[in-house]
Order: sequence, then structure tokens, then C-alpha cells
Amino acid sequence: MDWANDSLNKLEATREGRLSSNPPDIGEDEAQKLLYQYHPDYIGRQRNVRLGPNAGNGKVPYELADLLESDSQLPVGFEPSVNIETDVLILGGGGAGASAALALEGAGLKVHLATKLRLGDSNTVMAEGGIQASLGINDSSRRHFSDAYVGGHGDNDPDLLRVLCENSETTIRWLGQLGCILDSNEDGTFQLRPGGGTSLPRVLACKDYTGLEIMRVLKDAVLLSSTQTLQNHAAIELLDDGDGQVTGAVLWNRDSGDLVSVSARAIIIATGGSGQLRFQDFPTSNHIGAVGDGLVLAYRQGCKLVNSDSYQYHPSGTTYPEALAGQLITESIRSIGAQVVNAEGRRFVHEMTFRDVLAAAIIREVSEKRGVQTPTHRAGVWLDTPLVDLQNGEGFLKQKFPGIFHRFKRYKIDPAKQPILIYPTLHYQNGGIKIDRDGRTDVKGLWAAGEVTGGIHGTNRLMGNSLLDITVFGRRAAMSVQENLPQRRPVTLTQLKKFRECFKMISGKQSLLSPQLFPVASGMKIEFTKNNSAEHVSQAFEATSQSKFEPPDPFTT
Amino acid sequence: MESIKIKVAGELIHARAGETVIHSLWNAGKAELIKTGCVGGVCGACTITVRSSDGKMKGTDLACMCPVEDGMEVFPCPVDSALSLAPEPNPTEEKLRKAFPKIDKCTKCGSCTSACPMSIPVMDSVLRMRSGQLDKVADDFTTCIHCGLCRFVCEDGVQPHMMGMWIRRSIGSSLEKDMGKKLDQDLGQAELEWKYLLEGTPVDRMNHARRFRKSGEIEL
Repeated sequence: MDWANDSLNKLEATREGRLSSNPPDIGEDEAQKLLYQYHPDYIGRQRNVRLGPNAGNGKVPYELADLLESDSQLPVGFEPSVNIETDVLILGGGGAGASAALALEGAGLKVHLATKLRLGDSNTVMAEGGIQASLGINDSSRRHFSDAYVGGHGDNDPDLLRVLCENSETTIRWLGQLGCILDSNEDGTFQLRPGGGTSLPRVLACKDYTGLEIMRVLKDAVLLSSTQTLQNHAAIELLDDGDGQVTGAVLWNRDSGDLVSVSARAIIIATGGSGQLRFQDFPTSNHIGAVGDGLVLAYRQGCKLVNSDSYQYHPSGTTYPEALAGQLITESIRSIGAQVVNAEGRRFVHEMTFRDVLAAAIIREVSEKRGVQTPTHRAGVWLDTPLVDLQNGEGFLKQKFPGIFHRFKRYKIDPAKQPILIYPTLHYQNGGIKIDRDGRTDVKGLWAAGEVTGGIHGTNRLMGNSLLDITVFGRRAAMSVQENLPQRRPVTLTQLKKFRECFKMISGKQSLLSPQLFPVASGMKIEFTKNNSAEHVSQAFEATSQSKFEPPDPFTT
Repeated sequence: MESIKIKVAGELIHARAGETVIHSLWNAGKAELIKTGCVGGVCGACTITVRSSDGKMKGTDLACMCPVEDGMEVFPCPVDSALSLAPEPNPTEEKLRKAFPKIDKCTKCGSCTSACPMSIPVMDSVLRMRSGQLDKVADDFTTCIHCGLCRFVCEDGVQPHMMGMWIRRSIGSSLEKDMGKKLDQDLGQAELEWKYLLEGTPVDRMNHARRFRKSGEIEL
């Protein structure tokens, strides 16, 4: 990193002085000002959606608005004929979907889990920092609630947040029963770390691979369960009975190209987030499938979205080397002493403040030319990681955070000796489908859980609350499904047809089709193999070369 | 950025120095060539083998973590998941042997260790399994992404990652969990606190939450 020597020298010159310095504490007003001036959510890159349940009621990022207003991938003229009949169809193979599947085990129901990738390929598996649980001696679910509520700017649904916080201990027990191993102390108690905006240490972790540990175990348990997993099956539309109840889904089998119609008595949508939409060209920490599929599918069925104007830009995304751009450096590193320092070697914000404030502060430093330019035309500020060992003893950083060493080793960067350049990365979809305490959406037959939902985290999520969210609400949705399972009803495309009627009315349409399934940048093709006489005339359709289609053969494996 | 050429599954790809194999495929409109998942090096979907420009095999890697090098050749190497085995409480060497009889077939060739994209000392750990050091094995496999490459390269059908998972889950589910001694047993007090936090206008709620998170006390 010779190109950064000037700035590195300044950073090293101030290091000893900074070691004992207090973090700069900006007041609440200053923090608000920072958000309004610099946070991507607040700078006017959003618009109203012109159709559907949120029409004229609150803005969402341009890119998401475009998708909500886009035509379906499903060829006009397609009529579903049932290929798979099941009781519960779970859409999504991350932590929420897997938790739901496990909570349905033993209920005597036929369960299918469809994921467009493989089971476990998700944002869950990439979560590093940990999972919150109020196990500390002076901690409580109320304290947890207060932190998350203040962090979420009070935009949280208090009922949902209470459910989240009251279920942390049982969730940790459940994960333990499944065989998750979280870091513990000599005396057998769990290690609790602070997280940004937690008033007490409350974050449990498995080094900096907490999501990997949890997802690996959930996946193994699902594979051992009676759930039938449909991998490489992307949901491209929900089916309804023509009378306001969701009754199934159309899946696209990516291997064969077939469209597969599923009849289900209940659907749990757990399709996760949308970081790969890369708003305002931000890099992202998200997996290849995170493009908001679930939001689009549920929206067409009449589900309202809440807080969908709000996204989390994680303050510490990697900025250099280029190959790692956007990838996460866990917040925990800051919680044990790594400072955030600008090009001049100065701290400019409390490292453990709320994520949105810290992200805004970093963006300010860079836009006011106090950032460091990389040779690949990115910019960032320093995360002074060598401070961790200076405070905790040599080898501490590597022992606690093997993941970051592993990733940087290839580029001959040793985080114990060299700081890391960071810049906010699009990380988490704070808002989403509106649900109640039991994961029910506004629409009968449809439940939702995890990152695809909105309300729990308000407009800024705290570290460690998403792994908790997916395990708590994935299971709750599954319990609710068991208690409220509707009768099987016919599968039709009534809602989609209604949507298409509205779609005809709006002007200046995008040529996109949604759900998008994969990032635009990936250039991934969506092609259905079979051909029928139904002709799809829209230009958008031609643009994605889905010109061949006929009703799918009965699904056989 | 410097432009370089690589080959992926026999197809010529123009890439930019500094990017990963996955991103070079995205830019070339060839994303389908390699199955991709998290793009963050932890899901194990995008397993590949690599041959460098001098014709030497460089071994296995993850395409999302592998930076492009001029003249390199990349071969997709997807690994299907193996059959899982249910964990057992209080695992022992005997139980492990019974569950995974092939454990003793290991000929110590070291292929698994060199194949592991997470730098886990896989072969050493298999030897530790054979001598019953299961706690150490559980530790070894903390960072296992379950990509299956260790199994893929094993000539003797040993399944190190499956054994690692089985051992971790078996140990994990047998651990006595100490949830700590909580002061949280006074349900009456808890209800008072919830009332304090949930009632009133949004402004009240925010003020109460701000106060409570600092002091842990409610204002009566």
C-alpha cells in the first residue's frame, strides 16, 4: 500500500496519542445533521411508487421503485397447472427459511423449501459479528428493546421489537440444542461483546464467523429433516385463489428451465434483502441473489411495505484491495478498540455510535477530501486495526477474528500491523413486508420472516439483531402457519392480471422485469425452456430473450 | 485498469487486473459459467481449480475470492453436498468411527489440506479424529465453509468436512448452557418497564427508551 504512505505516516504518528484519547462525542443534533446531509437514505434519491399498496404513500429508492413498477417475468398467457402439491411452501434458503422449516418438523405437514441458489447461500452465512441476547447480569429484554428502539429512530413497530427482544434467550437455547457453538468464557457463560448502540455488552459470537456457524448448522438440520428442498428454484410469481388468498407460487427451475407451479396451503416468504440493487452505485456486502424478489412478489399480492425507504449502509465495508470491495469488516473489531481515522490521522466520530451515523460521518470525511484515494478510484478512511493488539496483547486480533486475516492474507495485508481502508457498503434492507407478531402479512395464506420484512428494526438496525430476527421470526411464522393453516384453494393468476392492468396505466415504464432474481451487473440470463403459443408482446420481454415458452411438463425429478 | 486475459471453462474472458474471477465473468456476461452464492467466500458454491499461465496446476480455490491473473485457466468444480448424518450426544472416538467407518482409510496424502480454501489443517485434524481429540477437531473446523473440496479430492472417500460438522454439532448440542444468573425474575417489575416503554406518544416512547437504555431505570 505504498500509494497511501503519506496518510499511513500521519496515522502512525497519531496512534500513540489516540490510544488513550476519548472518542469524539457528537450530540444528537449533530448526529441528525450528519444523517440529513450525508446518509444515502436522506439525500433525495427516492421516489413514490405509482401503483400497488404503497402508491402515493412514502418513498423508496429509485431502483426499488422501478422494480415494484415492473412487469412480471411470467409470460402473458401462462396458466398455472399444478406440478407440486404441498402444505407449506417456504421461499428462501437462508436463516429465516431454514428456521421456519425446522419449526415445521414434526407437525405432520408436507413442507417444501425453494431457493434460487443452494440451501444456505444467503446473507445469513456471511453475518460476522454476532447475535444479540440479553444474557448479561444487568441486562433485560427491556434494555435490549430500548437500544434497538433508539437506534431505529423510534420507527420500529414496538410490538414486533418486543417479540424480538423477549425471545432472545430461548433462541440461543434453541441454537445450542441444534449444536451451534458460540464463544464462551472459562466458566461456561457466553462471551458478550458490545455492539454499536448497545448500552451493555449483549452480542454473542462465533469468532467473526457467527452467521456461518448458524447457517451451517441450520442447513445440516434441514437436510436431515423431512423438508423437501428445491435448490436452484427461483420464485417468479405468487399464485392466488382469485379471492384474496395466496395459494401457491410459480418457480423457475434454473437447471431445466421449466416453470413449476406449486399449490400450497400456506407460503412463508423468506427471500431476504436487496443489497445487490446497489443503490447510488454503492458496493454491497450481499450475496448474488439479494435483489428484493420477495418485496416484489408480496407487493403484487397486496402486501404493504413499511420503512422501505430505509437501508443500512454498514460503516466498515472493505475499500481496498479492489477484489474485496464492499465486503464486511465486522463491527466487533471496533468494539474492542479499532478506531476509525481519517487521512489526516484524526478520529472524527465515536466508533460505537449507531451504524447510520457512523456511515454518514465517513461519507462526510471522504466528500470533504479527508479520505484516502485508492489506485482503483475508490476512497475510504482507515480502520486502525493494529490498535487492538496494542490494547489487548499480541495475537488477540487474529485469535478473535480469523476471518479478516484469512481474506487479507492473499494481498499481503496483515491487519494486526496495517490498518484497513473502509467505506460504507450497502448491507441490510431495514424495511420490507409488513407483518404482525406471528409473521402474518396483510394477505391470507402468506407469511413472511427475516430481512424481507419491515418494522422490527425501524430505520436503522443494530448489530446482532438480524441473526436474532431470522431465528425468532422464522420459527414464529412456522408456528403460526400450523395454527392457522388455510384450506387448499385453487391456483390462479388473478392478482397478477390485476397488477398488469394497473401496470398498463402508468407512463414512462422501465423495461425491467421483476423479480429480477440476479444483479443487473451479473448479466445472468433468465430463460424458460418451453414454448407455447401464447405470445408475449412487450418489448421488455424480448429484451430478456424469454421468447420460448409452453406450459411446463408435470414436474418430475 | 490493466486488461488481462483468462480462460474459464475453456472460454476466453477479458478481465481487469485486481478483480475476482466471479466479477470478471459478470463483466463478460458469462456469469452462468460458475455457480455462485454469497460472493463473500463463505458459502462454498463457487469452487474451482486453477492452472496458472506457466501450465502448472495451482490447485483449488473459490472463484469469488480468487483474483484474476493473466493467462490463468479456471475450471469450475462444483461439489454436491454429501449425505448428512444426525449428530449424537456426547460424541466419542468410537461413535465417530461407527458413523464414519472410512475415517481409517486416510493415507495421509495431504490433498485435503491443500484443497481447503479456508486453510484448515484438514489432514492433521482427521488424524486428531482418529485419536479422539474431538474438542480440538471442533476448533479446527470452526471456519469450515462446507464447500466439500476436501471430500472431492480424497481418493479414499474420507469426508473430513462431514465429520467436522458431525463432531461440532454433536459437541455443541451436548454442551451444558449457562445462561447466567439474571436479575430478570421479577415479572411485576418487567411489566412496569414494558408499560413505561410502550405507552404514551411516540415522543414519550423515544424519551423513555433513551432514558432507560442509559440508566436501566424507569421514571415513576
